[in-house]
Order: sequence, then C-alpha cells, then structure tokens
Amino acid sequence: MAALVDGAPEPQESSPIPGQGKPARVRFVGAWWAPALALSGVGLVGAAEAQRSNAGREIFFNIEQGWAVYALMAALVGLLAYGIVRHATLWMIGKPTPGLLGEVPLRFRNALRLGIGQEKVRRDPYAGIMHTCIFFSIVVLTIVTAQVAIDDDLGLHFLQGDYYLFFSFYGDLFGLIGLVGVGMALYRRYFDDLHRIRWDERVEDHLIIGGLGLLLLSGFLVEAFRINVTELEQHPEWAKWSFVAWGLAEALNVIDLTEGQTLTGHVWMWWGHIVLAFAWLGLIVFTRLDHIFFAPVNAFLLRTDSPGRLATIENIEEQEVFGVGQIQDFTWKQLFELDACVRCGRCSEVCPANVAGQPLSPMHLIQDLKAHLASVGPDIQRAGHEEGDVRAVSPLAMTGEVIGDETLWACRTCGACMQECPVMIEHVPTIVDMRRYLVMDEARIPASAQQALENIEMRGHPWRGTTLERTTWMEGLGDVPLFDGSQEYLYWVGCSGSLVERNLPVTQSVFRLLREAGASFGVLGQEETCNGDPARRMGNEYLFQILAQQLVETFKAKQVQRVITNCPHCFNTFKNEYPQFDGHFEVLHHTEFLVQALDEGKLTPRFALDESMTYHDSCYLGRMNGQYEAPRQIIEVIDGAEFTEMKRTRSKGLCCGAGGGNMWQEEVGERRVNHVRTEEAVGTGADQVVSNCPFCIQMFEDGIPSIQPEEEGRIAAFDIAELLERAVLGPDGAGSDGARPAGAGAEAGTGASSTGQ
Amino acid sequence: MHFVVCAKQIPDPETPPAAFRIDEQSNEVVPAQGIAPVLSQFDGMAAEAALRVKETAGDDTKITVISMGKESAQAAIKQVLAMGADEGLLLEDDAFEGGDSYTTATVLSAAIEKLGDVDAVFCGRQAADWDMGQVGLGISELMNWPGSIIASDVQVADGKMSVKRVLADGFETVEVPMPAVVTVSNELGEPRYPKLQQIMQAARKTVNTMTAADLGLDASSVGAAGARLKLERLFIPEVGGDCDMIEGESPEEQAQALVAALREAKVL
Repeated sequence: MAALVDGAPEPQESSPIPGQGKPARVRFVGAWWAPALALSGVGLVGAAEAQRSNAGREIFFNIEQGWAVYALMAALVGLLAYGIVRHATLWMIGKPTPGLLGEVPLRFRNALRLGIGQEKVRRDPYAGIMHTCIFFSIVVLTIVTAQVAIDDDLGLHFLQGDYYLFFSFYGDLFGLIGLVGVGMALYRRYFDDLHRIRWDERVEDHLIIGGLGLLLLSGFLVEAFRINVTELEQHPEWAKWSFVAWGLAEALNVIDLTEGQTLTGHVWMWWGHIVLAFAWLGLIVFTRLDHIFFAPVNAFLLRTDSPGRLATIENIEEQEVFGVGQIQDFTWKQLFELDACVRCGRCSEVCPANVAGQPLSPMHLIQDLKAHLASVGPDIQRAGHEEGDVRAVSPLAMTGEVIGDETLWACRTCGACMQECPVMIEHVPTIVDMRRYLVMDEARIPASAQQALENIEMRGHPWRGTTLERTTWMEGLGDVPLFDGSQEYLYWVGCSGSLVERNLPVTQSVFRLLREAGASFGVLGQEETCNGDPARRMGNEYLFQILAQQLVETFKAKQVQRVITNCPHCFNTFKNEYPQFDGHFEVLHHTEFLVQALDEGKLTPRFALDESMTYHDSCYLGRMNGQYEAPRQIIEVIDGAEFTEMKRTRSKGLCCGAGGGNMWQEEVGERRVNHVRTEEAVGTGADQVVSNCPFCIQMFEDGIPSIQPEEEGRIAAFDIAELLERAVLGPDGAGSDGARPAGAGAEAGTGASSTGQ
Repeated sequence: MHFVVCAKQIPDPETPPAAFRIDEQSNEVVPAQGIAPVLSQFDGMAAEAALRVKETAGDDTKITVISMGKESAQAAIKQVLAMGADEGLLLEDDAFEGGDSYTTATVLSAAIEKLGDVDAVFCGRQAADWDMGQVGLGISELMNWPGSIIASDVQVADGKMSVKRVLADGFETVEVPMPAVVTVSNELGEPRYPKLQQIMQAARKTVNTMTAADLGLDASSVGAAGARLKLERLFIPEVGGDCDMIEGESPEEQAQALVAALREAKVL
C-alpha cells in the first residue's frame, strides 16, 4: 500500500508500513455521522410508534406539465455524456498508462476509501466536516428524489404511512445537514482570512456554493408551501415530521397569504427548485464539480506501489522524446488527473517551495497544464487523427513556457503535495517527467545542478570539489571489514556519508553502533559509487539507469542480500527503484536497524542524555516510505531526552529544502526552505534538531546561523545515530575510537550517568 | 568551414590530495586508483567556443575533434562529439609517449595539415594537468597561422576571426585573418551539457585513429625522442606550517608582542 494513503482505517492490514495509523482527531472528525444515524433511528422508531398508516402525499401536487422534469432529465444526461466525450477525447491524446490493470481489488478499495470515503479530505478537519455534510446531504437527497420518482413512475406507492413520515424526517434532516455544510463553506469563502481556496478563485466557485445553498433552501420552501396548504391544518401530526419545512410552513402563516397565493407561490417555487437543480447538476460538465466523478476514478487509478518510485523509461535508447515536452507526451492518466483538480490549494499550502515564496505552486502548475490541454488539446487530437504533425500544433513550448524551468527546478520531490491532494493527483512524477525533457531532450539545466550531474558522470558522486576519499571516514576506526559476501549486511555509506565533512561523524557513529550490536557487516569502500538517485530526480533517467544497472550487477556479484543505508535517499532508491532493474534486496535505513538492535537487546542505552530535542522527518524515510515510528522509538528509550514535536510533523513534515536535486542548486525566491524549516525547529525551544538524512543535517547546519545569528544557545543538528551513540557508548564514545563531532561530546558529558565501562 | 578542436585527456584535477601520488624514480604521476581521467576543462570550453561559432555560421560547418593520447582518450573525444562535434580523430602511437609541448604541437599540426581544409583551430588555454599553455601557440607557429590566446569570446565573419582576449586589467578584441588558431579561457563560460540524443549518436560514431606513420612523421621527431624539454625532477612539495599563539593581556599588548615577534623573524 502506498504510504500516500496513510490514515487508513485498518493500517495493520492495508499497510505493511509502521506508523500509518489514523490520528485520533481524524477518527473523531469522521465520526460525525454517528449522531445523524442515531437521529434517523429515533425518527424510525418514532414513525413506527406513531401508527399513522394513512399518511402520504400526492406526488406532483399542484403541478401541471410535470413531464417537463423528464425532458430536463434527458437534457442533463445528454449534457453529461457530452462532457465525458469532450474530456475523454482530450485524455486520449496522451500515451498509454502502464500497470493500470494490476492490483484491481486494491484499486477498488482505494476508490471506496479515498474516493467515496474521502479520507484525504478529512486531513483538514474543518473541510472534512464541511465536505462530508455536503456529500451526504447530496447523496441522501438524491435517494429521496429517486424514491419519489420510483413511487410515482413505477406506481409502487410505497411513500405512505410510517415510511412516508420517516422519509419526510430524514429528507429534512439531510437537507439541514447540507445547509450546515454550505454555511461552513460560505463562511470560509467569504469571511475567513484569505484562505487557500481563494488562491485561484473563479466565478464558478460562487455559482457552485451559492447554487447549492439556494437549491437546498428552495427545496425546503417548496415543501413548506405544500405543507402549508395540505398538512398544516389537515394533518398537523404528519407535518411535524418534516421538521424544517413545518417550521417554515408555520412561518408562512405569519404573512397571511390566501390559499390561492400560497398555491401560486408553491408552483413558482417548485419550478424554481427543479430548474435550479438541473442547472446546478449541469455545472458538473463545466466546472470543478466534475470531481464528483473524477475523484473516485482517480483514486482507482492511483499508483499501487510506493510514491517513492519514479517510472522507468523502457528502452530509453529507442525513444524519440525522452521526457515530457508537450502535453501529449504525458500518459492519459496524467491528463485525466488535470481534470480532477478542484483548486483546493492543499498541495500549494504544504509545498516547501511555495511556503518559501519560490516559483512553484503545485496547484497552479496543474491548473496551467489543464488550461494548456484545453487550449491545444483539440487541435492535437485532430492532427493526430489526420496523421498530421502533432508536435507542430502548440504555439507554446509546454515545458519551458507554459511551465517555466524555474518552476520545475524548485520541486523538492518531497511528496507533500501528493500526500495532501484529496483527489489523488500525483504531481511529482509529472514534474520529473518535464525535468526529464529539460535535461535529456533540451540539455537545459541550472549551472549548479549541471555540475552535480556532470560530477556523477565523471566521478561517480555529486560532490564536486570534495577533498575527501571514500575511505577517509575509516581513519582511526580500527578494522573496517570490506564486504565479501560472507557477512549478513552490506553497510552502504553513500556519497554524502563519505565525501561530506559533516556527515563523516554520522557514518562513524553508525559504524560503531553496528560494531557494538555485533552485526555481521562489511562496506564497499572505494567500490561505492552513486546509486543514481540525484540523477533520476534531476531528470537524467539515462544516467540513473546506467548507474542502477551497474550497481545491481555489483551487488549480485558480491552476493549482497541485505543493505543498511545511511541516507534515506539511497534507502528509497535501493528499496523501491532497484526492483525495476531486477535488484531485489532487503533494505534497511540505519534508523530501522538501530530500533531492531535496541528491541533485541543488542544495544543498550546506558548513558542518560539530559537534552531537549525535536525530530525532523526526512521526506524519503517519512512520507515516501512511511517510517515515522522508528526514530521516535529511539528517542523514547534514551534516558533524560526531552522530546518536543514540531508543528509540521510526520506525514505533514516540511522538507529541509534539499530534495529533488535542490541540494546542488541556487534557490530562487523570497526565502530559503531550510531557513523556514530551521525556524520551525528553533521554535520548539529544543537544544537539538535530530534527523536521519545527510542532506537534512547539512541544510539545518546551513540554516541555523542565519536564524540564530548569536552563537550562544544555538540549536544543534544531529543524526539519530549520533544521538544514540552518545546514549549507548557514552559522551566520549567510551571504549571506542576515532573522531567525534566537535563539541557534541563535551556538551553531552554533563548529564551522563556512567553506569557501565 | 572546418574547425578543429584539440582535446586532451588528463588525470582528474579533482583527485583528492590524499590519492595523488608521484613515482619519483620514473618522474611520473601514478594514476589514482578508481579515478577516471577526464577531458581537460579548458578544452571543453574550446569546444563550446567552436560550437557557438558553428551555431551562428550554419550547418555546413564541420567540427573535428583531435586528441593525441592513448586508447582511453576516446572518452574525451566522445564527450566533445556528444556536445555536437561532427568527427573524431585519435592520434595514437607509442612513439608519441613522453613528449613535450613542442612534440605535441608537431603531431597536432601534422594532423591538421592532413585534414587539409581547416579554417580554425580551437584549443584550451592550457591543459589542466601541466598548465604549460604552449601547444596552441606551437600549432600557430608550426602552421604559420595567426594565433590569439586566452579568449573569452570568439566570432567569425567574412573569413576573419574576431577574438576577445582576457588581459590582466581588462579585455582586448583582435581581428585576425583565417585560418587561425585560438586558445580559449574559462571566461567564455561553461561547456554545454549534451542532449541525450547527441550522447547516443556520439556513442555510435567511430573515431578514426592515426599513427606517426599515417601522419608522415618520423619517430625521432615526436615523443621523448623529439622533446626539447627535459623533466629533471617531479615531486610533491612539502607544505608545513607552525602556529605560535601571541600572548598578551589586552589587544594593545598582543599587538606589541606580535610586532616584536615579526621583527624577530625579520618579517618587518
């Protein structure tokens, strides 16, 4: 199960990934329907008690030419069919979507849970309540209306007696629930501070919500006029079951209308309600109301593998276009997604680039692509049909002009947008596909990113200018075993872990902990090379494939079966992407290994650390792979550690700013992402921000002096392994050897209770 | 038009200092293990300059990249081919080994002569390993063509080459008749990143090889035999440093102590 769909009701079954449990608050929000159901039950029992078997009403009371409803119905069905065909012809200009026929049961469950069940909508509790109210109101009122039609058209006449009264009750109840939802929506659209839903506000937004409000109100008024004439005096005990309309009917008496006037009012209101209803439903074809259909379908189409896996370009050497340069280069599923977007702004609200005022807003990107599809799609479709030159159709270069280069490069591939999207749009693959075009087809890359890519090509690592060697970290550690196939684990140090000064102590900490835990492991030393993750995320799929194929061969030749990585990016690539190249290995991030070792008693934290800390979830261990618990469990077992969560945490954690190749790029925009995140870490008041990723640590170390110019009292950034090493081996690595991060040992010394060694 | 780009494959200048070794017996650099040689970066810029001229001059301009070196230098040639050069030529012969700037210029000139219709030769300002900066001008001398060095911009029009040269205190632009030789400096800008389509085309291209005999060169005039420069000794200088802390209660005292120490060391 994809980590994207966390918050699953049955995490233990649906997800092999720990930490995917549903937060209690969301469960509470989702439980709103319980009281509604209970009320309905009360109504049912009440109706049964009432024993008024002759209750009922005349369908089409007071209405002539009622057949017109069927004409409107036919028109609506025709309109919907037109809408589908119009959209579908545009989707079909896209390329085939591979893998859609796999895992169909899971896809149906996704459609039910994420689509109809709207699990992601509830990640924003206010919107969750609002949307659920509106959703169930529309569903129930549609059933109510359908029953009226069935009762009349099929001559079943079941809308009488007790059931009629109960029917009247829940019809009003769900009408009222709908009005509550509409009220919440109106408040947020018109009275709340400038809300994300207004970042791209259009006329249709007012029509949809205003129209729905009027529709529900007019429904009540139709009922009220009818009840005023037919039930209020004749059958007051029936009338009370339609409790909202009954109140309105009583209110009508205040204005003292004649019966004729009331009947005329009823006719006008009835036709008004009917026309409004069909007009509103017609909006489905022309507005974002189409998400009613597209959201569940897109949930069905959602990937069933890890969100951390990017698609492979098969037979890359035979392609004419390597990435996505024009709209028809997308798969039809990617085009379908564009239509599913409802402009809710959730993606942009959590996008690190957007948060920092950089030139990327995922919502606007999707909307720009959608508008471009609508503008050039029909001509491309025609050109394709007439075997013309489809690539000559668009007057604008999609990748580069419709979507600017700087927008594409600002993406961190952190997956926050995909995590939040209530209609299951997958932005990151779409962005990377366009990067692939920039890099492989156009060779247009920011200079600093180009240097990183060239360095990977020439030197097998992205760290241009490093003076370190892949074996530098081993100095002073004694015997570092080389992996020869006889050991259980390959400890994969990674480029950052061996070639970036700050990350060496982390590598050494992990090494010492592995040794302390008695693990059977070896390293590759000089034979390590970049596994290709930065190349793939920066769009150089060709380079990635070469590196991946080579490394899979190396691993197989050395009989590697289990890998422990230092870096969540290496972890993700080995775990989720190497299977695409027939590289199937058991992959652990060091955090996971350390938790296992603690559980099994192979590591014991004997030293207390009286330090306060907060934890930063790296995107590729957290969101992309669902591992939120292991690092927190480590912190939990350390004596004296005082732990505070940041406001954005776990699946809502904010990227450090380095992902997606941005480690090697100059940032463009108002702020730098790592400054924003450092500020959030500093805001917890903790002494330390703990993470598990060499990039995150570098980004924090870079950000801290800017956020805290005074050296005194600065927050310090550590890897979870460095922290655990202090707790297990003592402040100065008691009994161990080699270099330690400057200052770390000395500070930690004060709180240590030396119970061993 | 027909341009020649001279490309040299060198040991990676980014070899970590700890991995850089010299064999003082043979006076040779020991190739660092696991670190592949690279195209000298100034030669990449020379290729970039030639490609920029080609882009303005039109498609009938041909660029041939020439390298003198071992079989492995094919990689450097392919890299320039991927950037957009049309043909590659490797000058490989055991007799070329152990030469100096003069013999290198001799061999390259012979190849340029052999190609026949060359209008301009683009070299890097210097190879990033030995930093001699002689070969470009050597070719110019041997071909008897005008040579301009350390260019930050090269333009070609009406059979003339206009070269913007980097000076210590600014720039100067010179115009020379073609055929001509120019050496290109880093001020020109980064070499382009090749498109994947070009990388794959370059991979499919065959690089011709020529030996001393093919070039009509006598083995005694090239390589170690023809070299005019003799390497006496190759060594890594020892860089040492001591740090003395200057004591003193106040900044004034520290300054006085520092001045006294500098005088004593005869620095002041």
